[in-house]
Amino acid sequence: MAAPEVATSREAPPPPLDVQLPDLVPLSLFVALVVVALTLLILKFIQTRKSSRRAVLLVGLCDSGKTLMFARLLTANFQNTQTSITDNSGLYRVKNDKNSSVTLIDLPGHKSLRLQFLDRFKAAARAIVFVVDSVAFQREMKDVAEFLYQILTDSVVLKNAPPLLIACNKQDVTMAKSSKLIQQQLEKELNTLRVTRSAAPSTLDSSNSGSASQLGKKGKEFDFSQLPMKVDFMECSARGSKGEEGSGDIDDLEKWIAKIA
Amino acid sequence: MLDFFTIFSKGGLVLWCFQGVRGPAAACTAPVNALIRSVLLQERGGSNSFTHDALTLKYKLDNQFELVFVVGFQKILTLTYVDKLIDDVHKEFRDKYRNEFHQKGTLGLLNGTFDFKEDFLRLLREAEESSKIRAPTAMKTFEQSAKSQKTVKSMIETRGEKPKEKAKNKKNKGSKKEVSGAEVAAVPKAAPAVKEDLPVAAGDREELTKDEILQKKREEFFRKHQKGGEKSNKSPKPDTSKDKGKKPRVWDLGNSNAKVLDYSNSTTNGNTDTCSMEEFDQDMVLGDRDREPGRLRDLEYESEEETEEEEKVVQNSSSANVKKGGLGGMFGMLKGLVGSKSLTREDMDPVLEKMKDHLIAKNVAADIAVQLCESVAKKLEGKVMGTFTTVTSTVKQALQESLVQILQPQRRVDVLRDVMDAQRHRRPYVITFCGVNGVGKSTNLAKISFWLIENGFSVLIAACDTFRAGAVEQLRTHTRRLNALHPPENYSGRTMVQLYEKGYGKDAAGIAMEAISYARNQGFDVVLVDTAGRMQDNAPLMTALAKLIAVNAPDLVLFVGEALVGNEAVDQLVKFNKALADHSMAQTPRLIDGIVLTKFDTIDDKVGAAISMTYITSKPIVFVGTGQTYCDLRSLNAKAVVAALMKA
Ligand SMILES: Nc1nc2c(ncn2[C@@H]2O[C@H](COP(=O)(O)OP(=O)(O)OP(=O)(O)O)[C@@H](O)[C@H]2O)c(=O)[nH]1
Ligand SMILES: [Mg+2]
Repeated sequence: MAAPEVATSREAPPPPLDVQLPDLVPLSLFVALVVVALTLLILKFIQTRKSSRRAVLLVGLCDSGKTLMFARLLTANFQNTQTSITDNSGLYRVKNDKNSSVTLIDLPGHKSLRLQFLDRFKAAARAIVFVVDSVAFQREMKDVAEFLYQILTDSVVLKNAPPLLIACNKQDVTMAKSSKLIQQQLEKELNTLRVTRSAAPSTLDSSNSGSASQLGKKGKEFDFSQLPMKVDFMECSARGSKGEEGSGDIDDLEKWIAKIA
Repeated sequence: MLDFFTIFSKGGLVLWCFQGVRGPAAACTAPVNALIRSVLLQERGGSNSFTHDALTLKYKLDNQFELVFVVGFQKILTLTYVDKLIDDVHKEFRDKYRNEFHQKGTLGLLNGTFDFKEDFLRLLREAEESSKIRAPTAMKTFEQSAKSQKTVKSMIETRGEKPKEKAKNKKNKGSKKEVSGAEVAAVPKAAPAVKEDLPVAAGDREELTKDEILQKKREEFFRKHQKGGEKSNKSPKPDTSKDKGKKPRVWDLGNSNAKVLDYSNSTTNGNTDTCSMEEFDQDMVLGDRDREPGRLRDLEYESEEETEEEEKVVQNSSSANVKKGGLGGMFGMLKGLVGSKSLTREDMDPVLEKMKDHLIAKNVAADIAVQLCESVAKKLEGKVMGTFTTVTSTVKQALQESLVQILQPQRRVDVLRDVMDAQRHRRPYVITFCGVNGVGKSTNLAKISFWLIENGFSVLIAACDTFRAGAVEQLRTHTRRLNALHPPENYSGRTMVQLYEKGYGKDAAGIAMEAISYARNQGFDVVLVDTAGRMQDNAPLMTALAKLIAVNAPDLVLFVGEALVGNEAVDQLVKFNKALADHSMAQTPRLIDGIVLTKFDTIDDKVGAAISMTYITSKPIVFVGTGQTYCDLRSLNAKAVVAALMKA
C-alpha cells in the first residue's frame, strides 16, 4: 500500500539546527515558558475531558425499551412510547450520598439512525447502558451482536473505555432469556463476527486510515473480560411485573449508575 | 369516525392519545410505528399520508417543539376534514402547552398532564361540521396547505424541467442558466405571485457563478495536490508505469494506488506462474498485490483535512450569499444574530432548489432529488435555528443527515456470516445475480467468487445465462483463472471453484435448481447464479427471472446496477421488484435483497446512483465494483459517499 511511502516522502528533513546561538538566556527562558504553557494546556485538556463526560447513554435496538427505561429513571412513571426519531435527554439525580447528577440520553435504536446518534454522543459518554430485549433475543441475536460490535470497536469508545452495562430488559415476561444465556450467546456471536467483519470491513470509520480495531485478544476465544472497559450484565424490567400501574424493576440499574457517576 | 389521534414527541414519548370507538387501548402503537419506520425514517416525507393494513394514517410534524401529530382512520372512508383537523389540533395544542415545552424540556413532557380531550372533541366537531357545510368546496383545505403558496412556482419548475434535462450533460452552469431563463420567460404569464421570486433567481445565478469559480479553483488545487502525492508515490519505483499507452488515472473514489492500474508486471504474482501467461487478459489480474487476502477494503475517500477545508469554503460562500442578498439578507442575518428565528418554507425554497439541482448534477435521479428535498423541508419547517447559523447551512446539515440515513442499510448484510451459518447446516448458500444488459454481472460475480475463495469457501458458479452468446465461455474463462490463482493443492486437493453449465437455450430455472442440488451433494459452500441480462421492459424475460427466483428461493438476490445510471435507476429497480412481486407465490413476495454497484471507478464524484438505488429499494449496497481486476471489490462507506455528494 502506498500510505507509508507517502508518509516518509512527506516528512521534511529536520531543519538545520543553528548551533551558534548568540545568547542562550532568552532561549532557555523561552523554552521554560513554552513548557509551562504546555503543561497548563494539557492539564486543562485532561480536566475538561473528564468532567465533560457526564452522560449516560441508553443504546440498543428498536423496541428494546430504552425510552420507557428513560422515563422510569427520570419520573418512575409508566409512559406510552412510539419508535424514537430523535434522542431524549434529561438530568438524572443519582441515588447516592454524593448527590451528583448525570445527563441521561436515550438514543433512537432504528438502524438508519443509531450510528449517527452514537457518533454524536459517544465522546460525552461516561457510561453506556446497552438495552437488550430478552424476549426477542433469539430472533434478534445477530443484529444485537452487530450493533454491540460496532460500539465496541469504535475508536472513541475504546479510548475513553466507559463502563458498559448490558441490561437484559423485559424480564417480566416469562419467555425472557436469562442474562447468563445472553452473555454466552453474545460472546459466541462476537467471536464469529470478529472473523467475518475483519474480512469485510465495517463502514463505521471513514476518516480512520487504519482498519477497525480488533475486538478482544487475538487468537483467543472472545469473552467480555478482554475488553478495556468493565462490562456488567444485569436483568431488569422497565415495565415491571404490575404493568402500567406498578413501578419498574430497575433498582439494580439505578445502583449501577450510582456507582459509575 | 376516526380510529385514533395521537400526539407524541419525536423522542417517542406519547403525550396524548385519543382512541376512537374501535380497537383496544394501545392499538395505535403498531400502525404508528410502521408509519415512523417506513415514512419518516426513510425520508419519504413528501406526502403526508400512509396506508397500513386497513388504515390510512395522516401526520404532521411540529419542528419547533419536536412533536408529531398522527391521525388514523379506515382507508375506505374519505374524510375531507382530516387535514383541517390536524392543523387545528396542532395549533390549539401547541398554544395550550407552549409553556410546558418551553420551560422544562423533556422533563416537562414527562411530567406534564396533557388533558386535551375536551378541546379535541370540540375541534373534531367543528371540523366535521365545516366539512358538511362546505362539502363540495374543498378549496379551503387546499388553501391552508402549504402547497397553495407555491402552485405558480411549481408550474414554472416543470416548465423549466425540460431544458434542464436536455442540458444534463452540459455544464451545471449552462443548465442553471437555462432554467432561470425559463423562469424569467414564464413570469409575464404568471404575474404577481412570482414577482418576488425574480430577484432571488437572479441572485441565484450570480451566486452560482461565484461558487463555480471557487469550485474550479479548489479542483485545480486538489489536482495539483494529488499529482504531487502521486509523484512521491511512484518515485521509489520509477519503472512501474513507463510503457503504457494510457496514463494512469487517479480517481477520487477508486483506489488511488497507482499499482492497481499497472498491468505491466502483474504476472510476477507468485500464484500466477501455475498458469500459462496467455490465459490472462491484461485486465483481469490481481490488481493490488499488497492487499490482505480475503479482505474487502472500504472505498477510500479524500482525507479529513480536505473535507474541513471544504466546509470552511462552503461556509464562507454561504455567508457571502447572505450579504449579497441585499437588505433582506442583511436583515435576515441580523435577525439570525440577535435571536432565534424559525424557518419558513419561503426561507428554504431557494436553498432547497439549489440543493435539488446540486443532487441532480451529482446524478441522483430527478424524482428522488425532488422527494428528498421535500422531505427535508417537512423536517425543517418551523424549526428554530440556532444563533450564527444560516438557512443554507441548516438545510445542508439536514440534507446530509438524511442522506446518511438513507444509505444506512435496513437489513443486516454480512454475507460471510450467513455463508457460515449455511455451512453449519450443510447446505449451500445461494446468491442470484440479476440486472439489465452489460452492467457487469459476470465480472462482478467472478470478483465475488474470488473474495469468497480467499475466505476459504468453495464456490459453484451456475451458468444460467443461456441467452447471450459467449456468456458461458466467459464464465468458463473466469473459473479457469480463479482455479489457477487458487489451485486445489493449496486447499488440500479441494477444487475451490467450478462451473455448472448446460449450454444455451435451456430453461434457466431448471439449470439453477440442478446446480444447487449438485452443490449440496458435492459439498460446495456457495452457489452463485448468473442470469441473463434483461431490459426491465421485456416481459417474458422478467417473468422467467421471477420464476427462477420463486422456484429456487435463493438466500440472497442481488441486483447489479451501474453507478453511471441516472434517472434510469428508478425505472429499472421498480420494474425488477414489480416483476418479482407479481410472480411470487409466497405470502410476502421475494424482492431484491441487495445491490451491487458496478463501474464505480468511472463516475468521479457523481455518486448519485447509490442514493437513488437505496432510496427506491431501501436495500443495502452490498458490494461496489471499482475496476477490472479481481481485487476491485469494495464495501460501501456511507459517510464517504455522502461527503462526495455534498461536495460542491
Ligand atoms: N413486557 C415488557 N415490555 C416492555 C419493557 N420495556 C419496554 N417495553 C415495551 O416495549 C415497547 C418499546 O419500548 P420503547 O421504550 O419505546 O423502545 P425503544 O428502545 O425506545 O425503541 P426505539 O425508540 O424504537 O429505539 C413498548 O411497548 C414498551 O412498553 C419491559 O420491561 N417489559
Ligand atoms: Mg425510543
